[in-house]
Amino acid sequence: MSAGLDGFLEGFVEPLLAGKTARVGRPLRFEEFRAMAGALASGRRPTLEALRQGRAQGLIAEPALAPPGDDELALWIGLHNVLALDHPDRPRVWARQISWRRVEAVTRHLLARGQAEDFEAALARHVAVGPFVELLRRDSVVLTVEGEERFSGQPVPRRRVRFGRRDEVVHWLSIAHADESGRLIPDVLWASPITCALRPTLAPEGWSPLMFAPFLFERGFARAVCHAWAASKQWIEAGGAVMGALWRSLAPPVELDTIDEGRTGERRMLPAGAAPLALPGSSFAAGPREIGAIVGALIHLHFIKVLELGARLGVATATRSAPVQMFLALPLLAPALAPALGSPMAPPSHLVGFEGQVARRWSEYADHIAEVLPREVVENLRATLVPRIVKETAQP
Amino acid sequence: MRQTLLEPIAAGQTRFRMQGLTPDARGVAVGRETLLVFSGLDRLVSFLGAYSDESSLDDLIPTMTLERGRRSSGGQAVLVRCAGADSYALDRLLRLVSAARGDLFVGAGTLFARYRERAAPFGYDLAAPVSAGTDDVVAVDLDFVARYQVVDRLDPVELIQRLSLRPVPLPVAGISDDPHLAGMAEMALCLCAPGIAERVLSYLWRARVPMAGVRVALAGERRLSLLLRLRAPPGRILDVLRRIPGVELLAPVSSRAAVEVGFRHPVHLGSAASCLPGTEMYLFRGRVGRVERLEGAPRFVDGAHLIAAAIEGRGLGEPGDARVVGVEPLQIPIRLRRTGDAREPRGALVPWSQIEVLRRLIYVIPPTSLAAARLALLEEGVLVLTGGGLAGVGAVSAAGVGAAALIPLGTRICEVAPGVLVPDGFELWPRVRAPLLRDLLGLEVGQLALFRGPGEAALRLRPEHLMALDAAVVGRLQLSDLKALPGELAAPAAPELVNERLGRFALWGFGAGPKEQRERGP
Repeated sequence: MSAGLDGFLEGFVEPLLAGKTARVGRPLRFEEFRAMAGALASGRRPTLEALRQGRAQGLIAEPALAPPGDDELALWIGLHNVLALDHPDRPRVWARQISWRRVEAVTRHLLARGQAEDFEAALARHVAVGPFVELLRRDSVVLTVEGEERFSGQPVPRRRVRFGRRDEVVHWLSIAHADESGRLIPDVLWASPITCALRPTLAPEGWSPLMFAPFLFERGFARAVCHAWAASKQWIEAGGAVMGALWRSLAPPVELDTIDEGRTGERRMLPAGAAPLALPGSSFAAGPREIGAIVGALIHLHFIKVLELGARLGVATATRSAPVQMFLALPLLAPALAPALGSPMAPPSHLVGFEGQVARRWSEYADHIAEVLPREVVENLRATLVPRIVKETAQP
Repeated sequence: MRQTLLEPIAAGQTRFRMQGLTPDARGVAVGRETLLVFSGLDRLVSFLGAYSDESSLDDLIPTMTLERGRRSSGGQAVLVRCAGADSYALDRLLRLVSAARGDLFVGAGTLFARYRERAAPFGYDLAAPVSAGTDDVVAVDLDFVARYQVVDRLDPVELIQRLSLRPVPLPVAGISDDPHLAGMAEMALCLCAPGIAERVLSYLWRARVPMAGVRVALAGERRLSLLLRLRAPPGRILDVLRRIPGVELLAPVSSRAAVEVGFRHPVHLGSAASCLPGTEMYLFRGRVGRVERLEGAPRFVDGAHLIAAAIEGRGLGEPGDARVVGVEPLQIPIRLRRTGDAREPRGALVPWSQIEVLRRLIYVIPPTSLAAARLALLEEGVLVLTGGGLAGVGAVSAAGVGAAALIPLGTRICEVAPGVLVPDGFELWPRVRAPLLRDLLGLEVGQLALFRGPGEAALRLRPEHLMALDAAVVGRLQLSDLKALPGELAAPAAPELVNERLGRFALWGFGAGPKEQRERGP
């Protein structure tokens, strides 16, 4: 890849945003980031902005993105370095392991973003990270006399004697990576809460849906998120991941009681309502509106699947995963949450026609869930989750 | 241990216990004679029908004897004996006999053994000598011996002649609907009762059907009947003739046999010339259930001479003949005359000078009417017909207002009889019955007659002259290929990753970590 901002944008960033072939070369240094940041601030780049706008329009209709700044450039370079750390030519490079650790450290530094200030900033991060999690790699497997030789995302040398060849397209995020890349992928996903919201099954450990809950107040984004979940074949798992992460945010895990030496190994529940002793990272707004927004989005996900007749719960209801069970129990809480969240649909005036059919289907769906789910799951949620949304909103 | 009466013959075996068995060229044991055993006469008829369809009965009948036998253990059977043959012919015989649920034995004289089967590919021989005794026929099977006493003997030729005909269905719409005209496409025989022979003759003569005839004396009839031979008769003529009582249509099945239309002989007579001995001609009549045997081959006389004889007969003053020939002086031409009767227009004859206006008017015709309308190009102009004017062809689709009623151009055309079109304000005189009018005009199915005006010759419009109006007036449309415009918000595809080649010094410059750089500041 040619040096400089233009080469980097043309070779990596713009193809990444446009869905074309992004070229990954040597890792970029922090000095190069600073030089590029200076060049980036010097003028507008219409092609790049059009590509960002196009990517963002894939999520909401009228995104208002600010011109790309240092924050995004650092993210792009970080993404590039994550890919470069997984480069198949790494053994050829004359460098000690400490140098590769320095590359990892620089990349982590570039990827370490704070919480996005507003929705537009978060959307700009998603514009970069969204295509990153979709990246594909075309591998060429060449049959030689010694066996198979794999060229990972690289052209096969022309003079290579080969008896046969096959091409395989692999999803980069799903395959095994170098250790450094594997350690940096959670950092990438931490940087973009919207990407985690759209793909909650990929979200890193400790991620909370409360990070994107304020964005759900924007109607277009809420619709995009619900339909992104509904479009997934594993929509129940996605809903379960969101619900599980929400539950962990609301009720932090118990910690080992190390105060008393004689009772090592016992666990102590955090008293209800007590502030956590130490928070692992940023604290998120967890008011009734935010929690209600997430729960409402999950209930709406159920409603979308009922509308499209895709709510097949035959296998999912047999799960013993608590988050999935909690997610499946949400439609049963809809009447209790109605004062705060409203109903998925207004009661139809007559029970014929499309609205009547939908209402009947929704009630049948809720009845089916009530039959197959353990009763304590629903009662537990009714006792813990509903008051956090309804009672507190009822207060002026 | 149970023993069978027959034992399989080994390959190459040439000597047999049973008299009359000989190996043929393939080594299969065949006999000098062949015995077919049927449990009833109907099965024998089935066998003869199947055999005649496949090969000629003339091979079988000369040596065939047909006997009715009584089994010593009770019951009767029909025994057919014929000369032996090689195993190829016997195999075919076995297949047909099995289809008719009969049995096949080979042997000679009175003793017969079962013919070969899958278990014994070379046939069977007697396991132990079997004495015939006083029985006429002894048929030895694997596990039983059937002994027959011959009760009486049947003549196969007579049997075949006496078989009753089987009715076969004719097309509902008539013989003309059958492309082969029920076997009479080339030639038909018409047997007319004496009373109506002259009328039929004059009708056929007017219809110009090539014919020849002969007067034949049928058994039990005092007067001579007329047997006509029609060459390539039109289907409508055959339909007319078939409905006339006293007229029987016969389809020739061989040079000397004819079977009435609507019936079929159980045996394919074309392959059984020996069943019809002599030079006589046989007419198998189904409805009356008789076989007429004509003395000698009929010598047909050309139809023209028969007609002349009929006209001469007028002088004799026979009342029946007088009615027939009286038609000739009454033949009057059908002509157009003006009338004040109002009729629904069935078409419009648009002159060529108004064709441009017609093109514009096509746009106002409703789609159903446009689909039902037909178009014919004439010298005078364009004839536009609504569906109802097509002699019932588009009667269903003609519901509603016809296209002709919407076109105020040219001469309006009305329908005075199915398929007979005249200009509006005219009618055909004399007013003959509508079906008869079609017959008189010689219109076949789908054809139309158009009287353009007084003094002008009528036109015959065949189906190929008519084309669909919408297809005729709308020019061939040229479709331009759609060019897909690039979508403004096309969903971007998943990006792809290519790893560029790394050099040896790819990490040159990573000597200092980010911490130091941060401390140094930007």
